[in-house]
Amino acid sequence: MEDKKQTYFEKYDKTTHLLGRVVSIITLALLLGAPFAIGGYLGAMPDLGAVAKGFLSIGIVWMVSSIAEYLIYTPMLGAGGSYLAFITGNLINMKIPCAMNAKDLVGAKSGTKENEIISTLSIATASLVTILVLALGVALLIPLQPILQSPTLQPAFDSVVPALFGAMAYKYFRGHMKIAVYPLVFMSILFMLLPSLVANTSMMIIPSGALAIFVAYRLYKKESETKE
Amino acid sequence: MSILSQLNSPVLYLICGGIILFVALVCVLFLVRAYRAGLAIGMDKTKMKRTITSSATFAVLPSVGILLGVIALSGSLGTPWPWLRLSVIGALHYETSVADAAAQAVGIGHLSGAAMTAKAFSTIALLMSVCIMWGMIFATIFTKKYTKKLGSGSSDGEKKSGIAGFGDMAMTAMFIGLISAYIGSYLGDFISNGGLFSFGGSWLPLAVVAVSALAMAGFLWLKEKKKMDWVDNFSIAGSMLVGMVAAIFLGKL
Repeated sequence: MEDKKQTYFEKYDKTTHLLGRVVSIITLALLLGAPFAIGGYLGAMPDLGAVAKGFLSIGIVWMVSSIAEYLIYTPMLGAGGSYLAFITGNLINMKIPCAMNAKDLVGAKSGTKENEIISTLSIATASLVTILVLALGVALLIPLQPILQSPTLQPAFDSVVPALFGAMAYKYFRGHMKIAVYPLVFMSILFMLLPSLVANTSMMIIPSGALAIFVAYRLYKKESETKE
Repeated sequence: MSILSQLNSPVLYLICGGIILFVALVCVLFLVRAYRAGLAIGMDKTKMKRTITSSATFAVLPSVGILLGVIALSGSLGTPWPWLRLSVIGALHYETSVADAAAQAVGIGHLSGAAMTAKAFSTIALLMSVCIMWGMIFATIFTKKYTKKLGSGSSDGEKKSGIAGFGDMAMTAMFIGLISAYIGSYLGDFISNGGLFSFGGSWLPLAVVAVSALAMAGFLWLKEKKKMDWVDNFSIAGSMLVGMVAAIFLGKL
């Protein structure tokens, strides 16, 4: 029975990679093709020289950031979740916390079959909700615009990310204060002394995460030694 | 016909909507496959349904935030293109900054509907795609090998020992690092924006962090002490909503 399940999962995993690659390539072709299709319709094709120049000035930074994101998030998301998350985007502000929350709710362990399934279900559902909300929002853009852009509600919509990380912080920090205190204090001092880094917070996740992993590993080793 | 009317024309909605529809179908395909695979390997149906419900409620509020990004960009790039970019591959914090930098690169200064031309638009659109496509490229080339190396999909993560057994804790630690970086940035911005220790920055993000953390504490209290397990599915969305509503009132102070 277990063998049968293992064979099924291996087949599923193999197909996930094949499907993931095919749909990523198609999406990539569509995204790169769309500006040319639109350019054809508007009668003005993209200026490739300006694209190359722009890429050298701003694209390189995003390329480096993408490498870091890829290396950090793929282990969290598993195969199916990674392909979907890199196609649908909004990783930091939605997909990663969403998948971590789902994993936490059902008690799945990283790197297991269960986590692979939970992560894919979570990212696919969150992506569909975003697509649906944006489609509805775009359809209702004219009647909704005054509400969404009202100055009264502006602070609320400007606070989506702090509200998300506040909630997640309580959930994650309370059980792991011994880990959290180090990156939290270190990053706070760093940003206080070098406030210009605030504009590059997404890049600062790397040292902060590395410090947290280092502290966690020290604690893990200590606990293992005590058990032995 | 003005450039913005052209950028909001049905043809552009058709092009962008078609791509979004394709991605939505991909999501449905992955969702159904994962659900069936979960059943086949003997996973609890309730757990999978809970994942779907909690992820759906979790995603609503950030999606409304993302919709605001579409609205913000629609004044200069029309509605269909930002709609596509923020539904597929894009990121709220990325699109506005890259679109603005791309506008400078094509020589129209800052992003604005008044300065936009057809050529500038198609160039900006291509540059936005080229800049953000790398995650997808890396995923296409390396994910199979990378996940294999990480041992993704093993029978039981707990059976591992040493560095491999540390995997689950490492992912939690990485996430703690991510949250710490953001909270640290709010604190640094409040204390040193406008000069070291000048306390000239905004305290609102920090206050929102505190309020939504308190709300989360309340939800967890209901779950753990009052045995109201169902609140867990809505705890993140609920805490965010409390934090966001608080921002409206705190913003007036």
